[in-house]
Amino acid sequence: MSTEFLTVGQSVPPVYGIEKTTGVLRFPADINLPNMLWMKILRSPHAHAKIVAVDATQAEKMPGVAAVITHKDVPRVLFGPYQNEIYPLDEEIRFVGDTVAAVAAKDWNIAEEAIRAIRVSYEVLPAVHDPEFGVQPEAPGAVLHYPESHELKPGDIRPDQLGTFGNVIGLKEGGPTVVNQRGDVEQGFAESDVVIERVFRQSEVNAVSHEPRACVAVYENDTCTLWCSVQDPYRLQDSTARVLGLSMEAVRVVSTNLGGAFGVKVTGRFALLCALLARRTGRPVKIWFTREEESLDSHNRSALTHYVKAGAKKDGALTAIAVRTFLDNGYWPFGGLGQNIAFAICTRPIDLYHRCPNVKWEVFAVRTNRPSTGPYRGRADAESHFPIESVMDELACKIQMDPIEFRLKNRLQQGDDLCSAPTKIMSTVWLEEAARAGAEKIGWERRSTLAASSNGARKKGIGVALVIHSCGSNPAGISEAEVTIDITGAISLFSGTADQGSEQQTTLRQMVAEVLGVLLDEVGGCNADTSTCPFDSGPFSSRTVYATGIAASRAAEEVKKQLLELAANSLGEVIGALDIGKKSVWVRANPAKRIDLGQLARLAGGSISGKGIHNAKEDRLFAYGFAATFAEVEVDVETGEVRILRLVSSHDVGRAINPMIVEGQILGGAAQGLGYALSEGFYFDQRTGTALNQWFLDLRTPSILDIPDIEPVMVELGEPTHPFGAKGCSEISYVGVAPAVANAIYHATGARVTELPMTPDVILRALYDGQRNRM
Amino acid sequence: MEAQDSHKIVLKINGNLHAVETDSNWTLNDVLRNRLDLTGTKRACDYGGCGSCTVLMDGVDVYSCSILAVEAQGKQITTIEGLGNSENLHPLQKSFALSYAAQCGWCTPGMILSAKALLDRNPDPTEAEVRMALSGVLCRCTGYTSIVQAVLDAGRVMREKR
Repeated sequence: MSTEFLTVGQSVPPVYGIEKTTGVLRFPADINLPNMLWMKILRSPHAHAKIVAVDATQAEKMPGVAAVITHKDVPRVLFGPYQNEIYPLDEEIRFVGDTVAAVAAKDWNIAEEAIRAIRVSYEVLPAVHDPEFGVQPEAPGAVLHYPESHELKPGDIRPDQLGTFGNVIGLKEGGPTVVNQRGDVEQGFAESDVVIERVFRQSEVNAVSHEPRACVAVYENDTCTLWCSVQDPYRLQDSTARVLGLSMEAVRVVSTNLGGAFGVKVTGRFALLCALLARRTGRPVKIWFTREEESLDSHNRSALTHYVKAGAKKDGALTAIAVRTFLDNGYWPFGGLGQNIAFAICTRPIDLYHRCPNVKWEVFAVRTNRPSTGPYRGRADAESHFPIESVMDELACKIQMDPIEFRLKNRLQQGDDLCSAPTKIMSTVWLEEAARAGAEKIGWERRSTLAASSNGARKKGIGVALVIHSCGSNPAGISEAEVTIDITGAISLFSGTADQGSEQQTTLRQMVAEVLGVLLDEVGGCNADTSTCPFDSGPFSSRTVYATGIAASRAAEEVKKQLLELAANSLGEVIGALDIGKKSVWVRANPAKRIDLGQLARLAGGSISGKGIHNAKEDRLFAYGFAATFAEVEVDVETGEVRILRLVSSHDVGRAINPMIVEGQILGGAAQGLGYALSEGFYFDQRTGTALNQWFLDLRTPSILDIPDIEPVMVELGEPTHPFGAKGCSEISYVGVAPAVANAIYHATGARVTELPMTPDVILRALYDGQRNRM
Repeated sequence: MEAQDSHKIVLKINGNLHAVETDSNWTLNDVLRNRLDLTGTKRACDYGGCGSCTVLMDGVDVYSCSILAVEAQGKQITTIEGLGNSENLHPLQKSFALSYAAQCGWCTPGMILSAKALLDRNPDPTEAEVRMALSGVLCRCTGYTSIVQAVLDAGRVMREKR
């Protein structure tokens, strides 16, 4: 795009860059305070149990132990990251690794010894390890006891109904959690020239944020401060206030920088127990998860099974899509997460293929005795695009149509009614442009001749996936921002968003700088400290650049308006005769007649402040991002190994506020997506529910030797609903990789891989099945 | 529980001598982070899998989580804080910061120190040599491309300075 801007559109260096490379940036785990105690958590060895008795006397007597808390010592107050549905500790234990008790001691060795000295008697209960079993009427309840004080909303399950109809989170007995239906799928299949039926299975996946969660709590004078690795500091503030019985103002949560979060670092028991132990002992208390805890006490991407049937006519018109999805919701009782994800799974791919007239997609979100599942990078869309994009590819192949043209024929157009939101799509849809740009980059036309360059057992292929993902479309999302000018002329942006590595503060400050006509390093500020920053729902669903960006720009515009009014009065001019920039306001016709921002702040009584807000529901402003991912692979049909020769990730980014950061997000998302495609799975013993690979290297995230140089493409055609035309792209870059690789394998070998991760054994099985079917 | 054996040891870190008291089972990582407040050295895994805790010991990149504090006596230890600061950035720190090769920043100190060990023994590495040398440090955010580029860029700057 053109460079009519001063800062926006420039690859200026990230604001936290030097602090990160010199080691001075303090993450919550890096905070050490005088007299500080260390906290450790006792975790359950059982998948489902009731605590019959706890004896902590031995632990309490150990030298160096300051306090032990069990479920009998905590307030019976509900909290939760999405809705208030669990107690800080409970007598019902719901997964292997669930929180049973906590200890604060002089150091972590003593705390570790002390938790081993706590004696617990459990009544072991039948557990649910498999969602498809969990929906059966004869399945035991994965969650039995339910807090009587839960405030029920119309349609919520009553506590006495829990576990009585097969663990499905939802409203109707025996029915799915959500169903997205239009037209008549049977009619659609009858009209189809080709129909594909497939079953897809995806493993649970852990985000593997490198920073294990930490919390440091200080309780003094009936106020509590938490430095904590969470993306939702305001939610933690609210939960802590209610659990401790304090006012919101008496709780401060700081989560300025996180060592990777990817959606999963949200309010949890560990932080509330840390606060309770700080109050109990009167000393600062710190917890820092081990890697095992970071894996178990998290929110993983759900394991899923999709039964997919889709049909098309020879001319490329989609006729029907029918899907039944089983989603492992983990132990979370009411499924604030499950319901939410289930809805997005069955609606967004259908929006992408809006022209398909007949749809029935049922999702069963099922409570199991597993760690929680929840929103991890590309939430819901990574889960749903793998099956859908695989089937689209196969349909295109069967009707002998180009896979890109087939998809584009059926795609969403601007102004279409959405089923994933109660409105039309108002944002731009630069999907075709992204697909064409990516196709050109990878050399899509080579596809027809690529097989000839295959070498013996090593077969080459190119595949594509088209994807949709939200930016800021959560209807509950609210972002506020404040911009201030003080008497020194210093400009500050206060925003509630934590930096999880995407350097949102850089991008947000660029927007503020642009409005006020200054350089990036002339805007300072502070983020994700609830005592100084206004509310933000947090950096989820690729919403920050879009939603918080709108709020920050509005705040800066509000300040600009005040500055111009003050300057007009002071200089005796009309506003229209003034220009603003370079930290001053001047008369356009006579630039020597000027007043600087510090003087204007003095005129205003010491400071000038402007607030901006983006409220998704009231503003009815949200956007969807689009992307096309292309993979070129070489498959060894004897060993099942896949080499990624090239990966092109082409994005409708609206406009890149900071191209270096946008590109970095595309590269990083695509690399993580390659892990999801080829190597990462989080596995559990199907009999006991015990995690099998909770340790770092066993989670198989890609190393520097596994990732090729990924080729990003940014399509910058703007987005009118955002002041600078930006869309988010940090998650969508992840979403398309697995289906693009699966489709490239299909192109190379004719074998359809229907399982993630696509490890060599899975690929060999697909090759074998493919051969058998041809015989 | 048995009381931990305690040791008074002297460590040479970033050119300075530090007398510290440590338990027998404390790692170098524990002492750096919890006795000396040198928290630039991270950990992500606890057992030599991630590389976030990498420091230099006599110029060699090692996992500080896998070395007992008492073993580090008599060695020259360099942590990220000893490499440079905001007024006096090491070329690696500068190239990582300016090119967004540090996204969340958690693996960054380990990456930079591993790269420093490489450039000290091989001032003009190929891209493949950079990848091999850094393969003991994992990153979850960047996709590695910008990291490889930052190391090659810093190598160029360091060669020009010579």
